[in-house]
Amino acid sequence: MAHDHDHEHDHDGGHPAAPMVAEVTDFEILEIAVRELAIEKGLFTVDEHRKFTEWAESIGPASGSRLVAKAWTDPAFKARVLADATKASLEVGIDWSQPTGFGTPSDYTEFRVLEDTPTLHHVIVCTLCSCYPRPMLGHSPYWYRSPNYRRRIVRWPRQVLAEFGLILPPEIEIRVEDSNQKCRFMVLPLRPAGTEGWTEQQLAEIVTRDCMIGVALPRADRKADDVRPVHAALRPVPHEEAGR
Amino acid sequence: MPPAERKSLPARFEPGDRVRVKELPNLYYSRTQMYVRGVIGTVAVCTYTDLKPEDEAWSRDDAPYEQYYIIRFRQKDLWAEYPFDKDTLQTELPDSWLEPVTA
Repeated sequence: MAHDHDHEHDHDGGHPAAPMVAEVTDFEILEIAVRELAIEKGLFTVDEHRKFTEWAESIGPASGSRLVAKAWTDPAFKARVLADATKASLEVGIDWSQPTGFGTPSDYTEFRVLEDTPTLHHVIVCTLCSCYPRPMLGHSPYWYRSPNYRRRIVRWPRQVLAEFGLILPPEIEIRVEDSNQKCRFMVLPLRPAGTEGWTEQQLAEIVTRDCMIGVALPRADRKADDVRPVHAALRPVPHEEAGR
Repeated sequence: MPPAERKSLPARFEPGDRVRVKELPNLYYSRTQMYVRGVIGTVAVCTYTDLKPEDEAWSRDDAPYEQYYIIRFRQKDLWAEYPFDKDTLQTELPDSWLEPVTA
């Protein structure tokens, strides 16, 4: 802004300006290397890889919200979910054996739903990596995969939950579920007060992703697509001026 | 591969049993977290049978399957100065990483 184009090549020390690039981890390099080898070998094409990635990244938490809402309104369905969640997932349109025919993303997984009670609250984590019920909830949020969350939620669960705004009294047992093998977990939270007589559709709208991870509780007055508060800019620039 | 009709070692534990996680060295790969090694917990659920991670990591597909369990620990047993009595933590472990606790 303060510099004009005359200064662009006027750097000292002979070092050309380095472009801003994000750091690439060893695992990302490994993934690219394996992917390119697989494409060269003909295991799949570039286009197939792109289509799969687009499909995998299009999955969101909506199926999980519907599963929770259906379990709240249909006791027989809830019993089926708690007995065999992998099978009950089919009733909300999620087949855990897809897309490979034997598991997602690349391996056998067993889905289990953790039911909260008035005296028990669950929260999920994977301390080893990033295991997450992806067919049901889509990609995990970035913080779920961060070493910070993974290290601290097992050791200081109440403090970490408090950072998310969830403060629970000591009388409520907090149970951390570390999904370190082939089970994948999701939390079935308590149905909040003020939702009596609601339809399944209305209920699903208040079951946000964080409620199914266990770092938040559903509330009758909060939906995933609520309007965010807008804070006015300190020095607003009118659009007609900005366009000049 | 889904655990189908594979040869499996017999399950040695059932829900309610007290077990201790073995203190074994890491040989290249393990999914048994350090923070549960040597700690006593209770079997909460028998889940499925599968290869143990140490065999799967090296494609030892002919190794026998083992029973997996969800083990429940008291947080006070995992972390010496943990202040909340009721809190618990569950994690999943294969049969061979566990030893029975008597008395």
